[in-house]
Amino acid sequence: MQTATEQELVTITVNDQEVRVPKGEMIVESVKRIGLDVPIFCYHPRMKPVGMCRMCLVDVGMKQKDGSVRVMPKPQTACTLPATEGLAIYTDTEQIRKDRKGILEFLLVNHPLDCPVCDRGGECPLQNLTLIYGPSTTRFVEEKRHLLKAFPLSKYVQLDLERCIQCGRCVRFTEEISGDGQLAFLFRGALMQPQTYELTDFTSRFSGNTIEVCPVGALTSAEYRFRARPWDLETSPAICTECSNGCSTWFDHRVGEMIRINGRTNEAVNEEWTCDKGKFGHNYLNSPKRLTTPLVRDGESLREAGWAEAYERILAVFKGGGGAVAGLSGGRPSNESLFLWKRLFTERFESPNLDHRWHVHLPGAGETVAGRHGIREVNTPIAAFEGMPAIFFFGGDPAAEQPILYLRVRKAWFRNEAKVIVAAPEPTEADNFAYCVLRYRPGSEAALLGGLTRLLLEKAGGVAGADELRQAVARFTPEETEVVTGVASGALRRAAEAMAEGFATAASRTLYNLPNGADVVTALTNLAISAKSADRFNLFATEANEQGALEIGVLPGAGGLDTRGILEGCRDGGVRALWLLQCDPFERFPNRELARQALENVEFLLVQDIIETESFHHASVVLPCCAFSEDDGSYTNMERRVQRVRRVVAPKGHAKPSWKVFSELELRMTGETPPFSAKEVMGMLGSAAPQYQVSAYDHLEGEGVILPAEGGAAEPRLALPDYDAMEGSRELV
Amino acid sequence: MPETRLLLKHSGDPEYRAIAGYMAEGGYVGLKKALTMERQAVIDEVKKSGLRGRGGAGFPTWMKWNSVPKEKTKPHYVLCNADEGEPGTFKDKELMENTPHLMIEGMIIGGYAIQAEVGYVYIRAEFMDCARAIKMAIDEAYENGFLGKNILGSGWDHDIYVHMGAGSYECGEENAMMRSLMGERGMPGLKFPHAPFPTIEGLWNLPTLINNVESFACVPHIVVNGGDWYAMIGASTKNSRGTKIFSVSGHVNKPGNYEIEFGMPLMELLELAGGMKGGELKACVPGGSSVPMINKEQCEKAIIGYEELVEVGTMVGSGGCIFLNEHTCIVTFIWRTTLFYARESCGKCTPCREGSGRLVAALARLRSGDDAQKTAALRDIDELVTVMRSASLCGLGQMAVSPATSALQDFRQAVGAPKGANT
Repeated sequence: MQTATEQELVTITVNDQEVRVPKGEMIVESVKRIGLDVPIFCYHPRMKPVGMCRMCLVDVGMKQKDGSVRVMPKPQTACTLPATEGLAIYTDTEQIRKDRKGILEFLLVNHPLDCPVCDRGGECPLQNLTLIYGPSTTRFVEEKRHLLKAFPLSKYVQLDLERCIQCGRCVRFTEEISGDGQLAFLFRGALMQPQTYELTDFTSRFSGNTIEVCPVGALTSAEYRFRARPWDLETSPAICTECSNGCSTWFDHRVGEMIRINGRTNEAVNEEWTCDKGKFGHNYLNSPKRLTTPLVRDGESLREAGWAEAYERILAVFKGGGGAVAGLSGGRPSNESLFLWKRLFTERFESPNLDHRWHVHLPGAGETVAGRHGIREVNTPIAAFEGMPAIFFFGGDPAAEQPILYLRVRKAWFRNEAKVIVAAPEPTEADNFAYCVLRYRPGSEAALLGGLTRLLLEKAGGVAGADELRQAVARFTPEETEVVTGVASGALRRAAEAMAEGFATAASRTLYNLPNGADVVTALTNLAISAKSADRFNLFATEANEQGALEIGVLPGAGGLDTRGILEGCRDGGVRALWLLQCDPFERFPNRELARQALENVEFLLVQDIIETESFHHASVVLPCCAFSEDDGSYTNMERRVQRVRRVVAPKGHAKPSWKVFSELELRMTGETPPFSAKEVMGMLGSAAPQYQVSAYDHLEGEGVILPAEGGAAEPRLALPDYDAMEGSRELV
Repeated sequence: MPETRLLLKHSGDPEYRAIAGYMAEGGYVGLKKALTMERQAVIDEVKKSGLRGRGGAGFPTWMKWNSVPKEKTKPHYVLCNADEGEPGTFKDKELMENTPHLMIEGMIIGGYAIQAEVGYVYIRAEFMDCARAIKMAIDEAYENGFLGKNILGSGWDHDIYVHMGAGSYECGEENAMMRSLMGERGMPGLKFPHAPFPTIEGLWNLPTLINNVESFACVPHIVVNGGDWYAMIGASTKNSRGTKIFSVSGHVNKPGNYEIEFGMPLMELLELAGGMKGGELKACVPGGSSVPMINKEQCEKAIIGYEELVEVGTMVGSGGCIFLNEHTCIVTFIWRTTLFYARESCGKCTPCREGSGRLVAALARLRSGDDAQKTAALRDIDELVTVMRSASLCGLGQMAVSPATSALQDFRQAVGAPKGANT
């Protein structure tokens, strides 16, 4: 978004008061600068204005040369009128008042006025504006229109057509923002209604946003429907932890229970959108399977126990356990929890066996992107994608893996005509706006990247140490690449053409799940370096705090075992005790059989989680922990942005924040004063991992902060991976 | 005053529909002449002629032509509005069916003047015969080198395509028509001062010249005979030049299309159409159903011309002239007309979408209600038409109220009469 300082300013008058505004700004925004508000229904600042509802009418005049003002005969919509020099706006004339009242009367003619049973009642723009501008009674005696009520557009969204005021916000959202275009207006005139085409399911990944943009109760959430009145809800800011995007949300709760999640504005991350996973995926918070009290094993069964007993059992095994104990974490605990947990293992238990990664490939320190190429794995903030001229999506469906990044990239295309190159083995949602789509055979990832690298090396000369690489990819001519990968040579050339001037890479760490994942990541990094785009290279994390775990270093220490090694150790007896922190190997580890053997054979299994998992049934001790909404803490999202969450609701039962559990264990082992608040832990984290000094809680307001880059900018290094396609990839067509 | 048949001169001649017959009567001479002229000279000729848009608004044609960017940096388009849907108007239908080459030639000249490479004819869905005639005419024009690459050796290429509407009255509004042509829902978009004129940003945001069938059909005559010659026709009026086809219907003995010179009194047009049938004249809607209705007294004063008709409180519009005799129930007439607009509202803006339906309902109360209901209905109508006229997005909503407002002004006393009386 351009700022006012970059733009030419013009002087307009609003109700005879002069105001300087950027040229071309819509009047509906300009009047806000002097504290006025023009009522709106169809206008939405993030969508193109249409002027449908006519609620925002203002009288408009042009200043003449002699200083007088010539007022146009008819009022104009403020939402579509760009500011020009000498424009005179009148927001409150006799005619305007009459028109607004008339418009509201028209809108209410067919509106059922069932506010007392409507979910929107209490937070409804139509209700509010009617109170301010509208008539108090109706004059029309005709029967109201009867249409569908509570029609399920999808599992999540219900449509009440009688309440609809045909503002088109939902339709425009699916056309302009989410881009799936699943809603459209059917029929004409008074019968016009938003619907899915041929009444198919509304399967958008972002369908929940239409509920929020609806200015009446026409689109309601199937989950929230009739569960509360808005004035009974408490609303607190929170962060979504369903994926690594880290969206800002409003967390609405009532008597300690999550009721609904809405999008909260954070221009740097999610603007104001949420994905359906984030909006409807939080029901586990209220699940009856939540763990509420520590459990210890007595023979065949688990029984409830106090924290003291659980701590005793844990310390009896882990204290001084050294290499015989190990810990595995998921990517969802907060920075504070992960930091204290790591300290507990490395300093108190003196065990190097620690990991948070669950991919097939678990690169060692020298094999990561940073270790091998000398560049950072994440370089581009989400918002910066908006200004990228070329963006390379590689390996998966971005709408599924990184939904909010996907919206940002789509916006880059929609607003700024960014060229988006999508390389994926299957159709993705980004295909419909992609500049070119490279649909390769599964297994031929490295070969495809080899082909692209070859083309880019031809164009951009002068990459240090490129000779060996040039030789390695020499055989991947576009034609040969087509044979190996199935990507048409023309498409490959077109992609290389668009990428030659530099591009931002957007891939995720799930690439490490490919059988040759390490080679693919190296090839991808080489490609970025070849086009001098290493500063825009991104290998994003996919879990809420996976990036945080990486930064804090929840990784095997010197001589330590990684995830696979730990599980094998459990199976073979080398590891006697295993601590699972918010993770379930049955669900996460690619080799389920190994996970089963490990958990069955390990002597002592500690499961610390918020909900019952499959691993739970093998546990020796179970500790309940808090969900993100029940604990103070911070999360590091995919772009390395640290955002803070405050406790919104009380923990379930006897559950304790994880970091507090770890500090209490330390207290029992050392007798030193432990940290008493998450803020203190963050302070300690700042001294242990210096990049976290910026995220001390005093600075963690609003949009959060992006962690600074460590060290100086090293010259990116190329490396030589195996570019061959996986055996059998040609047969996989 | 008799008819002045310029466009319809050969309308009854079947030979004229084919290119051979058309060229035998001087067809495509205008195009040949135009191609030898400077582009600006063509526009100047149209300017001299005083031709004004025949679709309803009466905007000077040359000003549209002249406002298309002269320096061509991107494609330009010509769009012929052949979505004739105004109730009471059927002139374009005859022009397209009987004199298709006249319109095509006018379009090509227009395309040449504004340096367009492509022209579209947007024909309403119901006009299948017109579309067939236009298509055949286009094919013949290609065969004779008047369309296609390097037209008549001028080095200028032009193509014309026919696009059929899908049955929406609203798509006759130029903005909605462009949306419809581009494959979007036929709803009007933003227009001046919210967006540039179509001649700057039209189809696909590129300069687009939009004219009515009749306007284009006038162009060959202007180019052949010169603007000054054309401007002599109708010179008795203030600012209306040339001929205008009126589609006369209603209670007349000889309904049909009559091409007359501007300056003719309205009553003479009625005489041309054979006079009233079944009773005395009561009212007239001279320019298609969305222009204000006038009563007998005004009819007698009315002179046909853009400014002249405004003086008696109505408009030339598209030329759909409906005469009503003394036995017509005015309320029923405006109720039926308004019902048409309510059904054809595209649904985009609130005043038109909801207001037109309310207007129909109020008129229905006025038709059949008791005295108290009638009084209430009249009050409701008064208030809702002000909002509709003031707040609607496009002409449909703004004009949909004019039958009701104008008729109720004149006939209020009669309308308020108790049920049973024939108003």
